Amino acid sequence: MKGRVLTILCAAVVLAASAMPVLAHHSFAAEFDSAKSVDFQGVVTKVEWMNPHVYFYVDVKDPQSGKVTNWGCEMGSPNGLTRQGWTRNTLKIGMVIRVEGSAAKDGSSVANARNVTVDGKKLGAASSEAQNP
Amino acid sequence: MRNRLSVRFLLLAFASLFLISATMITLVAQQGGASAPAAEGGGRGGRGRGAPNPLLSQPAPRMPDGTVNLGRVPGELGIWQNPYIQNMGARNIVVGAPAAPAAAQSGGREGRGGRGAGGQIGGGEGAGGGGQRGGATTEPWIPFQPWAAAFYNYNSQNNSKYDPEGYCLPPGGPRLFATPYPMEIIQQPELKRIVMIFEGGTHVWREIHMDGRQHLKNEAIKGQTWLGDSVGHWDGDTLVVDVVGFNEGTWLDYFGHPHTDQMHIIEKYSRPNKGTLHYEATIDDPGAYTRQWTVAWDIPWNATGELQEYICQENNNYFNRLTDDFGQPILGPRQ
Repeated sequence: MKGRVLTILCAAVVLAASAMPVLAHHSFAAEFDSAKSVDFQGVVTKVEWMNPHVYFYVDVKDPQSGKVTNWGCEMGSPNGLTRQGWTRNTLKIGMVIRVEGSAAKDGSSVANARNVTVDGKKLGAASSEAQNP
Repeated sequence: MRNRLSVRFLLLAFASLFLISATMITLVAQQGGASAPAAEGGGRGGRGRGAPNPLLSQPAPRMPDGTVNLGRVPGELGIWQNPYIQNMGARNIVVGAPAAPAAAQSGGREGRGGRGAGGQIGGGEGAGGGGQRGGATTEPWIPFQPWAAAFYNYNSQNNSKYDPEGYCLPPGGPRLFATPYPMEIIQQPELKRIVMIFEGGTHVWREIHMDGRQHLKNEAIKGQTWLGDSVGHWDGDTLVVDVVGFNEGTWLDYFGHPHTDQMHIIEKYSRPNKGTLHYEATIDDPGAYTRQWTVAWDIPWNATGELQEYICQENNNYFNRLTDDFGQPILGPRQ
C-alpha cells in the first residue's frame, strides 16, 4: 500500500515536472506545447553535446505500422547537465532509451525532453537549468 | 526601441497555462525536485525545510583594507547563483514610488520554485507578476509609456519568441542578475576596478571602474554597448554602480519590458551575510517609462560552486526553427 502511494506520488512529480516550461535560453512556449506530451522508446542515432542546448536523435518505431521516425530531442545546456551528473558520454549511439517530454508546436518530430531513462535510470534532462535561457 | 516586425495583436488564453505552470513548479519545489549538485551550499529552497544555511548567520567577509568582499575568500570556492526572474514587474520595490501590490509581489514569489532564500540554477519563477501574463494592464505600478506598454503586450502575446536572449544576445542591465547562470565578483582594489564575470546568458564580463572617473560625455557612449559603461564607488558597505551607454538590443527581462538608449541604471550591491548578495537596480529611462522604478532581490552564494563554460552561440537551433508572425522562418529560405 505504501509502495502504491509512493508510486502515485512519483507519478505526480513526473507529471508536474513534465508540465514545467524548463527552458530559459529561449521561449519554451514559442516552440513547444506542454500539453502535447510525448513518451517513447527508441535507439539513439546521434548526439550533439553542444550549447546552448544538447540535442540527441532517436529512431522510434511505431508498434502498429512499424514505421520508424527519427525524433530530435532538446535538453538543457552542457553546463547545467554537467552539474546534474551528465557527461558527454552518458548517451551513446545505439543505446535504447526512453524519452518523456513535450512535442514541438509545429507538428515536427522535435521534442523537449524532460526526462531521459538511460540504462534503467531516469535522468532529468534540463531541470537543473530549469527554465534557463 | 522599435520593433521592426509587424505587430498583430492576437487574443491568446495563456493565463491558464501559466497558472498551471506556476502551480506545477511550486509542486516540484515542494517535492525537493532540485538535485543539482551545484545547488549544494547555495541555500536553495529545499534547504529551508531542513537545517538552516549556516552562511546566512555568518558575517560578510572583508578585504584586508576592511572593504566588504563581494566574492570569494582565499582558500574557498563559491559563486553567486543568479535566480531566474522572468518578470521585473514582480520585483518592483518602493523607493519613493508606487510599488507592485503585495498580492502580485507574493504571487510572483510563491511561483518561484525551489529558490527560496537560496536558489538552484534556474529554480524557475512562475509566470511572475502574480502568476499570469496579461501584459501592461496587469502591472499598473510600472510606469510604461504607451509605446512601451504596446511593446510589452506584444511580447506577452507571443510568449517572448523574439527575446534577444533566445538569439544568444546578452542580458540587459539588471537581467544580468536574473538570468539563471552563476556569476562572480572579483575586486581588484590595487587596480581600482571590480570585474564581474557571468557564465551566461552569453559568457560576458563587466568592468566597474573604481578609479573615480566620470562617464564619458553622453554623445560618446550613448547606445554604444550591450552592458553599458559602469563607474562605481563605495557608500559604506554598499557598492553603488552607475551605468549608462546601453544600446537597444536587450530587454530588461524575459517577459519583455523594453528600454531605450536613454537608460541610466543605478545599481546597489550589498552582502548582508556571507550567503547573500542583495541586488537593487533603479531603472531611469525617460525613453520608455514616465518615471524611474526600482527592482531588488537577493542572490544566494553557492559555497562549492565554480563557473563553467557556456558558449551559447555554438549551435542555436532555436534560430533555425523559429518562424515570424507570418509563418516564415526567421533564418533560412522563405517559402
